[in-house]
Amino acid sequence: MTFLAFVFILISLVTFVAAQLILKKAMEFSTAQGMRNSYFVSRVVVGVVLMTVSFFLTLGLLQRFDLSYLYPFQGLSVIFITILAAVVLKEKLSMRLTIGALLITAGVVLVSMS
Amino acid sequence: MQNRPSGFGNPWLQLAISVVCVFASELLLKRGASEVAAPNDAISWTGINGLASPLVWWAIVLIIASFITWLYVLRYIPLSVAYPLSRVVDVLVPLGCWIFLGELISTLRWCGIALVIFGLALVAKPIAKMEERL
Repeated sequence: MTFLAFVFILISLVTFVAAQLILKKAMEFSTAQGMRNSYFVSRVVVGVVLMTVSFFLTLGLLQRFDLSYLYPFQGLSVIFITILAAVVLKEKLSMRLTIGALLITAGVVLVSMS
Repeated sequence: MQNRPSGFGNPWLQLAISVVCVFASELLLKRGASEVAAPNDAISWTGINGLASPLVWWAIVLIIASFITWLYVLRYIPLSVAYPLSRVVDVLVPLGCWIFLGELISTLRWCGIALVIFGLALVAKPIAKMEERL
């Protein structure tokens, strides 16, 4: 079952990260163009669907593992989201922000290993 | 970070509210999921059977609240700043597991928690400065 657990953890992570990027794009778009347009609505819908998938997979995992063991995997999302925000959304990444994100990720991984 | 509202509409306050909602929802989800756990049942991998627990429904309400505040936060704060900061829950959740759920925290785990706090401080400090100037 461990391989299956890994797959589910991975899918819940990927869907979550993708949702965050899509939602940020949608909200950024809404500041300029408002919310009554198909671009905004479709992005939010996709984001919500992805987060829902992630949610239910997490709920399945929670029935099998301690929360303090599972939760840190979501912590890996910090470094993924920070990097992808820079690459995909063209946000400025300072050295400090990058190191901060790395430390958070390292800490979270350490929590999951212990 | 253009013309941010103050008071209740302050995005930093909304970020804090979002974090508290996520924290409470995680603990409720764990309790709810444990309540109805059916690990031998394949369908339970989808988590759908979790809906049988009222605690899970409370958690869902909190998740929706955190989601709405989070969308609001995204309007004003870059994702590369807001998201790392929102991970303060990675400190709160293990602490909550320890206090409320009776899970154990090893020395190594405490070290991990300390690293997260250090990383959060790094991300948060330039923001505090930025806010002072405004």
